[in-house]
Amino acid sequence: MSAFTAAARRALPSVVAIVALLAAWQVATASGYLSSAQFPTMTSTVSALAQELATPDLWGAVGMTLSGWAAGLLIGSVLAIVVGTVLGLNVTAFRAVSPVIEAFKAIPAVAILPLVILILGSTLPMKIFLVSFSVFWPMVVQVVYGVRSIDPVANDTARALGVGGIRKFFVVTIPSASPYIATGLRVGSATALILAVVAELVGGAGGIGRVILLGQNAGSVFYPTMYAYIILSGLLGMVLTGAFILAERRIMHWHESQRGNV
Amino acid sequence: MTADSTLATRPESGGTGRDSVRIIRIFLPILVPAVLIAAWWFSTVNSTSPYFPPLATILDRFLELWVVGDAKEELVPSLRNLGAGFLIGSVAGVALGMLMWRITIVRQAVSPIVYFLYVLPAPALLPAMIAIFGIGDMRQVALIAFGSIWPALFNTLDGMRGVDSVKHDAAAAMGVGRNRTTLSVDLPGASPQIAAGLRASLQVSLILMVISEMVAATHGIGFFILYSQTTFAIVNMWTGIMMLAIVGVVLNFAFIGIERRILQWHYRSRRIGGEA
Repeated sequence: MSAFTAAARRALPSVVAIVALLAAWQVATASGYLSSAQFPTMTSTVSALAQELATPDLWGAVGMTLSGWAAGLLIGSVLAIVVGTVLGLNVTAFRAVSPVIEAFKAIPAVAILPLVILILGSTLPMKIFLVSFSVFWPMVVQVVYGVRSIDPVANDTARALGVGGIRKFFVVTIPSASPYIATGLRVGSATALILAVVAELVGGAGGIGRVILLGQNAGSVFYPTMYAYIILSGLLGMVLTGAFILAERRIMHWHESQRGNV
Repeated sequence: MTADSTLATRPESGGTGRDSVRIIRIFLPILVPAVLIAAWWFSTVNSTSPYFPPLATILDRFLELWVVGDAKEELVPSLRNLGAGFLIGSVAGVALGMLMWRITIVRQAVSPIVYFLYVLPAPALLPAMIAIFGIGDMRQVALIAFGSIWPALFNTLDGMRGVDSVKHDAAAAMGVGRNRTTLSVDLPGASPQIAAGLRASLQVSLILMVISEMVAATHGIGFFILYSQTTFAIVNMWTGIMMLAIVGVVLNFAFIGIERRILQWHYRSRRIGGEA
């Protein structure tokens, strides 16, 4: 009981802040201070969200956004883990290609969006390509640093035990580099969601982003729905990031970075 | 960032062939980009594909449009919006981060809201920004500013959390007030992480700059690229992509240069600390 009240007391300021924000939104829009042509009322947005949550359209849009996010993140990071491991084990190779990686990391992935639309059209593969392209470059660097951080003792032990090749990759390299990979995946997940929305908003692929743009084009009657979908995209971001943080804690509980100060 | 130092500590292989090793080492970073550009050049030299015109054609057009011609004027509104948005967003982010660090009740109260806005994919807000600000430069600046607040804010908060508490005790023992401690102990202590946050903010800003120019816009480099694509002026589109790539790389390296300069004291003190 006391644990419960303590948690409630800790949550109190944020609950008050959220309620105050929603109330301020309602007052500002209902009083006409913010015109309804710009901003719908809080109640109409929340009811639009509740209404949409009951429709298959919303879940279809979420599914399309998530499939682009998941496939792009998977392809981009698997390629990055393979390439990053090779570069992490070979200093000369990394020195040779690092200017290319740094340059591609600095180029905004949206630059190639019109080219990708041209070749692949407003399709799911277009979205997946854009997402994996943007996930790949920062992830490679992360994996290289992770592979370099391997304890030399672990390396020598593996060699002494005759563990090599693919087996060493899974038993020594990946676990040692895993904190770096986990961070890379968490950051990559956020990037992937941004690029998935961009592919829908600008590239016209199906998903949350396109519904938001169509809502804006349809005029102010549809603004409550548009804002409902914007809020939905934020909720999606929260769920995905939360899931990654939880998974990181769960899977990496053995690693010293997660153990805390013993 | 920490792994950088391992690069330099490789022992030199002495004796014969040392000069050739050194020469290879100097040319190595140029070699791969040169090979890639050559590969691009030769693979497209006789290209008839409408999507992949010969590199020579693209470079000629690039010179014609962006160096000699007027296309470079597209860069002016783009960079102006980027600069204004990034500046407003990052100052607001660092200030809000400091406020949240300094006043516990503020941190507890706004954390969930701030976190929500941080994970919300900022491009989703573009249609809302159009609804609120219309289709001028204002909504672009607003969107860029909005997107660049959060990485700056969270890294400020994280960096300040990581400042050694011994420094706080020392400041308290010297009779330094809490506000001044935040400014003269926490802020410098957190600055490497704040710099990392600002770099992330800059990357987000650049993405938001481009996409805000791709939806309901009439100028800017993003508009140029998308307009060229829709009018099937593929070579022009390639020159725009090239220009945007150059902008991205130049901004990134300019940022790193400025960061190294400003944080010189930090790297120096860490080096001394490491030797002691």
